[in-house]
Amino acid sequence: MSNPGTTIIIREVEFPPEVVLSEKKSQLRSFLISRRALIRSALALSATTAMRGLPFAQAVEAGLTPAARGEDGSKFLSDPNWKPTFLNDQQNETLIALSDVIIPTTDTPGAKEALVNRFLDLLLSIEPAESQRQFTGALASMDRESQKQFGKDFHELAIQDQVWLVTPWSYPADADPWVGEESSSNSVQQHFLRLKRLIAYAYYGSEIGQKELGWDGEFTHGPYEGCEHEDDKHT
Amino acid sequence: MAQDPLQQIYDVIVVGSGATGGWAAKRLSEAGLKVALLEAGRSVSAKEFTEHMPSFQLKYRNHSPEIMRTRPVQRQCYACMEYNYEWFVNDLENPYSTPADKPFSWQRLRILGGRSLVWGRQSYRLSDVDFKAASRDGYDTDWPISYADLAPYYDIVEGYVGITGAAEGDQMLPDGKFLPPMKMSCGEIRLRESVKKNFGRTLTIGRAAILTQPHNGRAPCHYCGPCERGCFTYSYFSSPFTTVRDALKTGRCTLITDAIVSHVDMDSSANKARGVTFVHRATKETKQIRGKAVVLCAQSLESTRILLNSSTREYPNGLANSSRMLGHHLMDHVVGGGASGTFEDLKTVPSANPPHRPNGIYLVRFRNTPAEGKHPHFIRGYGFQGGAEPQFNLNASGIGADYKKAVKLGNYGVSLGAFGESLANFDNFCEIDPDLKDAWGIPALRISMTHGKNEAALMHDAGMTAAEMLEAAGARDVRVTTGTEMPGMAVHEVGTARMGNDAKKSVLNGFCQSHDVSNLVVADGSCFVSSACQNPTLTMMALCVRASDHLIERFKRNEV
Repeated sequence: MSNPGTTIIIREVEFPPEVVLSEKKSQLRSFLISRRALIRSALALSATTAMRGLPFAQAVEAGLTPAARGEDGSKFLSDPNWKPTFLNDQQNETLIALSDVIIPTTDTPGAKEALVNRFLDLLLSIEPAESQRQFTGALASMDRESQKQFGKDFHELAIQDQVWLVTPWSYPADADPWVGEESSSNSVQQHFLRLKRLIAYAYYGSEIGQKELGWDGEFTHGPYEGCEHEDDKHT
Repeated sequence: MAQDPLQQIYDVIVVGSGATGGWAAKRLSEAGLKVALLEAGRSVSAKEFTEHMPSFQLKYRNHSPEIMRTRPVQRQCYACMEYNYEWFVNDLENPYSTPADKPFSWQRLRILGGRSLVWGRQSYRLSDVDFKAASRDGYDTDWPISYADLAPYYDIVEGYVGITGAAEGDQMLPDGKFLPPMKMSCGEIRLRESVKKNFGRTLTIGRAAILTQPHNGRAPCHYCGPCERGCFTYSYFSSPFTTVRDALKTGRCTLITDAIVSHVDMDSSANKARGVTFVHRATKETKQIRGKAVVLCAQSLESTRILLNSSTREYPNGLANSSRMLGHHLMDHVVGGGASGTFEDLKTVPSANPPHRPNGIYLVRFRNTPAEGKHPHFIRGYGFQGGAEPQFNLNASGIGADYKKAVKLGNYGVSLGAFGESLANFDNFCEIDPDLKDAWGIPALRISMTHGKNEAALMHDAGMTAAEMLEAAGARDVRVTTGTEMPGMAVHEVGTARMGNDAKKSVLNGFCQSHDVSNLVVADGSCFVSSACQNPTLTMMALCVRASDHLIERFKRNEV
């Protein structure tokens, strides 16, 4: 909280010395060091102002998001004692199996390693009841179809049978002008596509998924160069 | 121990530390005046910037239940994220009302720098086609100033802020003093050339308040991407690290944070403002601060609310409101029309790595121009913002290794979204809600605004013309939107204390000075007479500098 009782007067805004960014990647390291130096100098400034009786430090501590405090909020994902908070064990197993079919480990890690089920369980735990029902309904429809064709739940199937079952649903259906919205929106294909969208979102949003897309952790690679074609073909 | 800052009499009290308040504080204090700058929120520090933090480190990856709970309105803003939501007001503490059938999204920050911390940075000049629009089409009234009056102030603001852009010589969008332009992608160059050849229209790289070379002690952009999470090199313009800092350096400006101004105090016998009353954000204590002049830069709706809450016996309908225009003519650019598609023949190499260009393209208004003549279905016009770049394709078909490959291959997306002029309409207004107060006991606003037929026609036309232009450039799978989003979504609200030469029909004169109270100035977006279709912040800053210089002259002549 900002200092109660007194009016807060700020006499200077923190403004660390000019930082000149190198366009060369080789100089990024010194740049990163200067970033840390900046943080130190900023902290020092807060401390000095606080000692002068100006409640600057308290003022800036108030109302920070966990991100602004530098907290890594993803740590819960790898907790060895993790248990689902929203999904039941059956639903969790179905989700893990399905995510592994849609985004398997290839030469790069897949959705199972990215702990997609854990992130989705967290999101579901805060979703409105209607979205929760839609999700669990979609998972149940995977088991229903699996039972119909194989007499087993989805996660009990062999991987090749899981692939066989869902592959046709993963392609766009040909639109039938005579079929109304109602019959299609809750079809097993719609359920599958909804789950696929969420699994893909959770996978590509994870650290493993970002690396799958080539993310290298650097926050700069120099200026944007745009089109580099000499002719005007732009192909 | 320094003197109690509240026991002194300042030359000027400036309310609000955002894009305009920062300029007022800088300009006035550099001219030798003693300034108190009041900010409703806390101070801000580069320590809390999160622009380089990967999104997977956010616990909810931007779906934080804390945002849902405390910022149900603010989260409608694309810039309000799990990274920075504490910069935005807590909606539970800062309520406002609307009629049930007129939703309005009021997106705002209370922190040093205000919305300049998260703004879109697009910076465009208005032209005389805008300032004198009424003379051309007969709707409403002209501004009391022309482009020639404001051009020198655009120069001052651009010269200091640093605007990247390219000169185009298009009369609808006057060129300015630009830093080197950012580069365009292949798809953007193709679209620009097609639009010029097939339609005779101007498409240019976005003009943005982002540095592309060192400027005034700030380093150029390092293209990390998400400016709205802060910038530790201060490469985009935000007031705390530029104008406010300059003002404090003069030694004549006192910054008081956590000061929520409730109303302007009047000396009724002299008919002059004598300061403001504020409530301390943390203690909720009420305090006064005295000044010879008051400059409101709190943001259009907030400055208007302060004046409406400042009624006296002489001004029973709100301070400086003898015209009864205060609160009326609320405008916000209409958005929702546009189109998107893909360039299937362009090579796609989407990248998760920087450089991410924090800027787009701009397609200059081409409807109802002096060259093109009158459109049969609507007056005024719209400009497009957009871009073209390779993107990952999470919607790819299939599963397994093939799906993973298709996602990475991606596609080359291209899109245009319109910002249309919102017509000044007396019936779009804000007033004090007699039954609603904020967490500090200050009466809250009731906002009543809808976009009308003209705005709907603009967006309908925009969807159509965007699709035409994308298809002409070779885009496929073109999707069109023609609706209008709810007012407030452009976050360009202006016009509730309009300027004019006639004191019976306007709140302010051409120098943003109240017609009724000579030492009261309102130097934010509320002075706008029309919204034009260009992003308003650059114009607000230029108007504010002009208003500040006028006030300085009046101090010099001993008129205050």
